[in-house]
Amino acid sequence: MKKDRHREDAFGPLSRRELLRRCGMGMGSVALASLAGREAAQAATSSLNPLIPKAPHFDQKAKRVIHIFANGGPSQVDTFDPKPMLSKYHGKTLPGEHLKTERKTGTAMRSPFEFRKHGESGLEISDLFPNVAHSADDLCVIRSMHANVPNHEPSLMLMNTGFARQATPSMGAWVNYGLGTDNENLPGFVSLCPGGVPIMETQNWRAGFLPGAFQGTHIDTKHTDIDKLIANIENEKIPSEFQRQQVDLIQSLNRRFSEARPRDSKLEARIQSYELAYRMQMEASDAFDVTKEPAHIREAYGEGLQGRQMLIARRLVERGVRFVQVWHGAGQPWDSHSKIKEAHGKLAGDCDQAIGTLLKDLKQRGLLEDTLVIWGGEFGRTPTVELPTPGSNAADTKLGRDHNHHGFSMWLAGGGVKGGYAYGATDEFGFKAEENPVHVHDLHATIMHLLGFDHEALTYRYSGRDYRLTDLEGSVVHDLIA
Amino acid sequence: MIGWEQNLKVRGWLCRVGAVGIFVWFCGGVGSAADFSKQQLEFFEAKIRPLLVESCYECHQGHGAKSGLKLDSRAGVLRGTDYRKVVEPGAPEKSALLFAVKHAGKMGAVKVEKMPKKGERLSAQAVADLESWVKMGVPWPEEVASEEDPKNHWAFQPVKRAALPKVKTLNRAANGIDFFVLSGLEGKEMMLADEAGRRTLIRRLYFDLSGLPPTFEEVESFVSNQSPRAYEELVDGLLQSPRYGERWGRHWLDVARYSDTKGYRGGGSERRFIYSHTYRDWVIRAFNEDLPYDQFLLYQLAADYLTKDRKDKRDLAAMGFLTLGRRSTADDDIDDRLDVTFRGTMALTVSCSRCHDHKFDPIPTEDYYSLASVFINSEEPREAPVIGEPEDSAAYRSYLVNLAEKQKVVDAFLDPKVAELAKKFPNLANSRFQLITKLDRVDRRKLSNLQRVVDKFVADAGMEADRALILQDREKVSAGGRILIRGSRSRPGKAVPRHFLQLVAGENPPAFKNGSGRLEMAQAIVDVNNPLTARTMVNRVWQHHFGEGLVRTPSDFGLQGEKPSHPELLDWLSVWFVENGWSLKKLHRLILNSSTYKQGSVNARGSDYAAKDPENRLLWRMNRQRLEFEPMRDAALVAAGRLDDAMFGRSVKMTTQPFTQRRAMYAYVDRQNLDPVFGTFDFASPQKHTGQRPYTTIPTQTLFMLNSPFVMEQAAYLAKSVMEGSDKDQTAMVKNLYRKVLLREPAAEELAEGLRFLKGQQVLASARDNKQTSTVWQYGEGYYDGETRRVNYQPFATWAAKEKRWQPSVTMPDKKGMGYLHVFGGGGHPSNDPKHGAIVRWQAPDEMGAIVSGNLHRRSDQGDGVRLRVVHSRLGLIRELDIMGTENKAFELSDVQMKKGESLDFVVDCKQGSNSDSFTWKLDVRPGGGKKWSLADQFGGPGRIATPLENLAQALLCANEFMFVD
Repeated sequence: MKKDRHREDAFGPLSRRELLRRCGMGMGSVALASLAGREAAQAATSSLNPLIPKAPHFDQKAKRVIHIFANGGPSQVDTFDPKPMLSKYHGKTLPGEHLKTERKTGTAMRSPFEFRKHGESGLEISDLFPNVAHSADDLCVIRSMHANVPNHEPSLMLMNTGFARQATPSMGAWVNYGLGTDNENLPGFVSLCPGGVPIMETQNWRAGFLPGAFQGTHIDTKHTDIDKLIANIENEKIPSEFQRQQVDLIQSLNRRFSEARPRDSKLEARIQSYELAYRMQMEASDAFDVTKEPAHIREAYGEGLQGRQMLIARRLVERGVRFVQVWHGAGQPWDSHSKIKEAHGKLAGDCDQAIGTLLKDLKQRGLLEDTLVIWGGEFGRTPTVELPTPGSNAADTKLGRDHNHHGFSMWLAGGGVKGGYAYGATDEFGFKAEENPVHVHDLHATIMHLLGFDHEALTYRYSGRDYRLTDLEGSVVHDLIA
Repeated sequence: MIGWEQNLKVRGWLCRVGAVGIFVWFCGGVGSAADFSKQQLEFFEAKIRPLLVESCYECHQGHGAKSGLKLDSRAGVLRGTDYRKVVEPGAPEKSALLFAVKHAGKMGAVKVEKMPKKGERLSAQAVADLESWVKMGVPWPEEVASEEDPKNHWAFQPVKRAALPKVKTLNRAANGIDFFVLSGLEGKEMMLADEAGRRTLIRRLYFDLSGLPPTFEEVESFVSNQSPRAYEELVDGLLQSPRYGERWGRHWLDVARYSDTKGYRGGGSERRFIYSHTYRDWVIRAFNEDLPYDQFLLYQLAADYLTKDRKDKRDLAAMGFLTLGRRSTADDDIDDRLDVTFRGTMALTVSCSRCHDHKFDPIPTEDYYSLASVFINSEEPREAPVIGEPEDSAAYRSYLVNLAEKQKVVDAFLDPKVAELAKKFPNLANSRFQLITKLDRVDRRKLSNLQRVVDKFVADAGMEADRALILQDREKVSAGGRILIRGSRSRPGKAVPRHFLQLVAGENPPAFKNGSGRLEMAQAIVDVNNPLTARTMVNRVWQHHFGEGLVRTPSDFGLQGEKPSHPELLDWLSVWFVENGWSLKKLHRLILNSSTYKQGSVNARGSDYAAKDPENRLLWRMNRQRLEFEPMRDAALVAAGRLDDAMFGRSVKMTTQPFTQRRAMYAYVDRQNLDPVFGTFDFASPQKHTGQRPYTTIPTQTLFMLNSPFVMEQAAYLAKSVMEGSDKDQTAMVKNLYRKVLLREPAAEELAEGLRFLKGQQVLASARDNKQTSTVWQYGEGYYDGETRRVNYQPFATWAAKEKRWQPSVTMPDKKGMGYLHVFGGGGHPSNDPKHGAIVRWQAPDEMGAIVSGNLHRRSDQGDGVRLRVVHSRLGLIRELDIMGTENKAFELSDVQMKKGESLDFVVDCKQGSNSDSFTWKLDVRPGGGKKWSLADQFGGPGRIATPLENLAQALLCANEFMFVD
């Protein structure tokens, strides 16, 4: 039974039913059986450093994540969800129920972009993403995503933290909590966002009630100077050869202090952290310096901001950063209420080459197999045209689309997902997820599964409750997994 | 310690075995193995349990079961959904469960959903089995023996005064506390550590009570004080210091999830509370005045009641405890208030009962909505009451004038609209506020855009007289509350009266009578018979003195929390605390005068102690503690002699330059975008109540110590302070640094090490080019030697700070024949000898193919012009540019291959004569894509590098000895 494969992996050859019968007490002892292994693994790496690498619940397909966030809400019917019926109904009222979104929308509006089949799989992708389409056979498009409400704030929170209203930890923080980092010289969770912060600001990558060590490090990729990228990563007043002597002195003081206070792991941890910090200065500078890349690689990614930040993302995962989020920009750039053709055209034009190159580059380096790339927004857009609302900031909209949480598309690539595959479907107009709907919680459950976690078991006790990324919901979508 | 890591381990486990926990709780007495035959139970195990697991558990199990129906326990089966029962034992024909699996659609008139919703329909055999099972009366084996009835849980029992246990080592029993601790230790054949030395004790006491270090002199005087009362006097003095309220007030602010902002507000609305500091200041004063703890809580929950008949309304500020939470939806705000109240004062996780009866503690959903109704019936007034006086100053008067100007814009928009609306709604004509609510959407939007400007002005100015952010009862309070099923507004359940928790007040507790009932609720919290309130606070105080509480889950005393290490001691202290008038200062005094507190952090007595009790639960030594963010920052300022001990007032930003010298407890806490450095140092998250901060050691903390401008600044001041009056005696300086930072004299070995370090740093410093520190651009003079194809280069020795230029000597023209030779960012002047041209040297920090571009321009048409040569340190001359008169020539070289450390020299000489050879230029070096080095932007004088003494000072600040308290 495919659904339970991971459980069988964890519990050996005993069937689940047999196990239940033997111990006769339900799930508890079953869970205990797998815990023993986990605890042993943890004991072996016990440290006060919360970022130390940790073993997941079971075998992981993905070891790290790049989440490309098209914040604002990209339109599915213009990108990854072709709807020929829209052309037929163009300018006409859609038959059936008119779904409610944030603002009023009118008649159907066909996509100004052509869809074509790509790769051996023949996956249909619009002309907005010609470069991404080169990797069609690696993409696993989910065409039946849905969320809860048509508003940016709660939807961003849902997509990033699993909770629409509470200030709970972000996905990157959860993943680092669960797995630690493979490179202690770099932050385990990096959020690249050029020009400022998105809507909901730093809450998108906060650690919530998890220790601050798991918070995302925001990097404004508009800057190119390393000292503007990471706080306190450079010291202009103490050149490195001076600082080396200084750190040696600190360590000498610390060792003397420890002699009279033996076996104090907190003192030892802080001694170690000086060496780590010293090394981190070099490594972080190096990781963010794309000029170290050969010219042909830089050209392939493109000269612009998106090219640079996708290249940084690759350099970071290559160096063991666990979770990298790449935001299109500050605010909500993909929020094309008006002139979808021009707006989406420009946005995709900015990032298509960079994302397309990222996928190819990861694959060429053998990184794609265990790096999960996620692309999408916090929701999608309506297949119907948005109507102007007098007196509001939507007074002059035309030929644009409103927010749509009822149905939208996202894609995954690498990290153990099926390639050249489209899962689920929206209705014939692309408004609502109908076939095999995938809620954001389900997506989270699936991501956690790919990373080797039972999403229901990676919990943290806070305020009397065991919190998890998926709130109380979420089912793994096994059909997405290769 | 339940640190984050234990949480990861233990909680993962708890989550998984959670199902068993549910059994314990729900099965109490309902059906047991004894009621069913062996055959029936075997039938259940063979047929029914696997069926439930396979077909039902995906949705109907554990936390979050659909419709609240949990089929993972007999109690859950019998309870049914949130709406109705689904099984009638013995009567399948009355059991909706069977109608569901039969896909009957209806049971009588009631619609029944077809089950299972996901997956395959049950086989006829399976349905028949279920039918038999229900007929048998739902047999279910008794699960794991119940650990304890929640009603018997230790924390819910009345506080009992325990008799002091007998101990052998009476000489170490300074007060009651020691009897309990010694008894625990003696039971394991262990002993307290010896009393810590005076040096250790004074530093420990200072940080514990004031959050600041003592001075070296204070340490010395305490060490040499022969009085047997010296220690007690020190404790008393520190408790009298106003610093005490700042230290302990901050501990309480963690409990109160204090923040200066509301969290996220869309559309640019003002996020600041503006008057949040009045609560913080009230807390400081309350601690300093030793306001009895019961009063302390009463004010925070119901100061509006207590000050009703008083003229002095300042205590109203206490209610910030309730109002300074994160603002979201109305329901979430109320949940936040319930959470901070009950986790904060009684260590109960009441908000777990929002969607279902508490899984572990006896807190039914009914109690949640009963108490939620108290807060639903309490509101913030439209205008917060003024509790202070504006300062009478010119600045304030000018602020008022500006404010009136700003407000005029709003009024100009609003007045005509309101006049219009008054005609439309004559019955509301008297209430401007009511009329404003009638504005249409467009106007409301315009109004809020205009008002926002005023709000921001008021918040920025920070000139308004203090106000208290209170709650008060609604004018019309509702009769009672109503349960919301699974916390959802759209699913109202039964009505509930407002009353206190049944856990404390017993079944069917009397309803609150007075308004919202908030005062009665507060009184019930501080009632001497409430078993949790005193225990919770005593434990919090203990935790801050010892690093860990007697109960290590300080905000969860429920069944999921940890048990106390010394239950009798906790009770004994709680009784003592209440009997001593809930006085926190007396409680501190008691604890601090115990031998348990005074012991050292190392116990030389038993080498097996660490094996016997690795977590030091029995307190065989003092826990060594690391300074939190605030005392760390404060102590660095103290060491540098720069702490500003001003008290109270609006919060100040801690992380922006110029750095404030105020104590860190006055930090501006931005809930939405808290500066990452707070999280880095394990600061209490202001999102919700924090009972204990996390403890992590991560390299970003260390980067802050090594590189942050704040620490560098304190190191520089420290160095300066020890230089003064030291007469350049390095030994004296090193000694003085040790005194200021580590509060002691250096040992001989340490002194030698310090001096060696200074010397080593000086050696490095003198190796650097004439104090030119920038490694990328350097400035000097010389010429290009055509034979060797190399540049003969001498760095300039003098920086003329006023003119901002590099030159060969202090005088201009130079006395040694170099004339007007100099360079600055935009140009320069060669000497009148081609052997002494002006040179700017660019050194490659890395390997690259560089694009080199720029131009050269001469201002005067006199003379024979100047010449620029670009010389590569490996490739020799790569470009030559000759200009005459006022020519302006640009150049660009692409893909200049540079290896790390190689340089390009830009040499300008006078050709034959230097008549009017002043030139201007622009020089840029850019790697193929990426950041540009531009002379114009980066030109500068000798960027000051930190001195050896500063680096030594900083090293001491970085030391574990500075950061940890024994």
